[in-house]
Amino acid sequence: MTSPRSALSDRPVEADRSVQNEVRRVLGTVDDPEYPGVSIVELGLVEDVRVAEGGARVEVNLVPTFSGCPALAFIAEDVRGAVLGVDGVSDVVVTFVATPAWTPARIAPSARQRIGADFGVAVQLGATPPACPRCGAPDLIEQSLFGPVRCRSVQRCASCGEVVETIR
Amino acid sequence: MGRSWGSQAEFESFVDGGGIVEPGDDMPDEYRDAVFRFIELHANSELMGGLTERDWIPKAPGLRRKMAVLAKTQDEIGHAHLLYMVAADLGVKTRTQMLEDLFAGRGRFHNVFHYQAVTWADQVAIAYLVDAAALISQQAVFKNCSYGPYKRILRRIVAEEGFHMRHGEEMLLVFAEGTPVQREMFQAALDRWWWPTLHMFGPPSRPDDALLRWHIKSERNEDLRDKFVQKYATLCTGYGFAPPDPELRRDAETGRWVTGEIDWAPLKATIANLGPDSARRIGDAARHWEDTRWVRDALEAVAA
Repeated sequence: MTSPRSALSDRPVEADRSVQNEVRRVLGTVDDPEYPGVSIVELGLVEDVRVAEGGARVEVNLVPTFSGCPALAFIAEDVRGAVLGVDGVSDVVVTFVATPAWTPARIAPSARQRIGADFGVAVQLGATPPACPRCGAPDLIEQSLFGPVRCRSVQRCASCGEVVETIR
Repeated sequence: MGRSWGSQAEFESFVDGGGIVEPGDDMPDEYRDAVFRFIELHANSELMGGLTERDWIPKAPGLRRKMAVLAKTQDEIGHAHLLYMVAADLGVKTRTQMLEDLFAGRGRFHNVFHYQAVTWADQVAIAYLVDAAALISQQAVFKNCSYGPYKRILRRIVAEEGFHMRHGEEMLLVFAEGTPVQREMFQAALDRWWWPTLHMFGPPSRPDDALLRWHIKSERNEDLRDKFVQKYATLCTGYGFAPPDPELRRDAETGRWVTGEIDWAPLKATIANLGPDSARRIGDAARHWEDTRWVRDALEAVAA
């Protein structure tokens, strides 16, 4: 391996790009602590990845689902661990940014489907209430504005009776 | 709408074959009672656990721990809410009946919430040991539980409990790598919580245990307890702490941990709501219920 700080002027850029791609790939393996099997990339937490110093230093900007989320420190730790595993990276800075605000629209469609099927959690986009993740009926009746976590509310499906939570 | 089975034997072979029972199904009364009591116990335990956790919000050391305790309290109250809904759907008792039984001292909740957490190190021991024990039990139930709505709620609960456990591990490291005073504090907490945690899995399962027979639970209490002991005896001694069991040893041949004889009297006392801290815990919970009556009344008035 050539040192990223080679004398050739185009080398750092090239190295930066391959590190950038590799960092994005490993971020896709970092699961959200509350949805094992769903990555922080799919949840739309990754806002920006910057590579500096020829690939030795990586800055990851994350958007928290809400600012008081108790999982933030663990997510940062997992991101740091994963990115430090990328060849050539020796320094990782994880920052939680205040803007843009996270919204459920940032969740990838494939992950929305999996959160519904695997966890029985619906995702609300816009003002329309989501369908029941179990039977698909559009009949969720609000039970509580807050569930076990602050980013989810609790409903009951009037059609199949299932107790459901919704990310909103 | 629900399914029905010609005989109890047919129902049994349905659940033996991995069949999942839904609320509208024509299940045998014995099954309904067993699954109801199990979920009610879980719901009560989440609620009592959440109220206990709540006491530590103002006392948690530092903002990060305070956020964690707040989140854990919300998790547990939220889990209780979901579980009470699922339990009430079985039609044995309404949610209000379950809560009123609990606050009148007629309900049951896990033994560990019948003891007092004396210092912050007790909260660390609870997060490190009790949460881990709860997760071991819940994972085993989640894997093979025959009652659909409970199994589906457990999936989310197990994911969230895993996250509590991680907090416990992180907090334990602070004490394990801390000052001699911190190490002494954790040892004292371990002395208080080791046996109650082993009791939490319940006495050895009887061969005719209804919960096992109906596939509500899938593993015997003693097997789950053993799983816990093998992992946590290694971890605790590895960090230089001594579980309060002079007979705890590694079997020379198998390399497995063997505990001393378990005294079941303390567990029996907690089952009768006569544990060391039962009266205060139940009294506090009943007071919360009274203090918040105006909220329920207001909501009902708005709904009417």
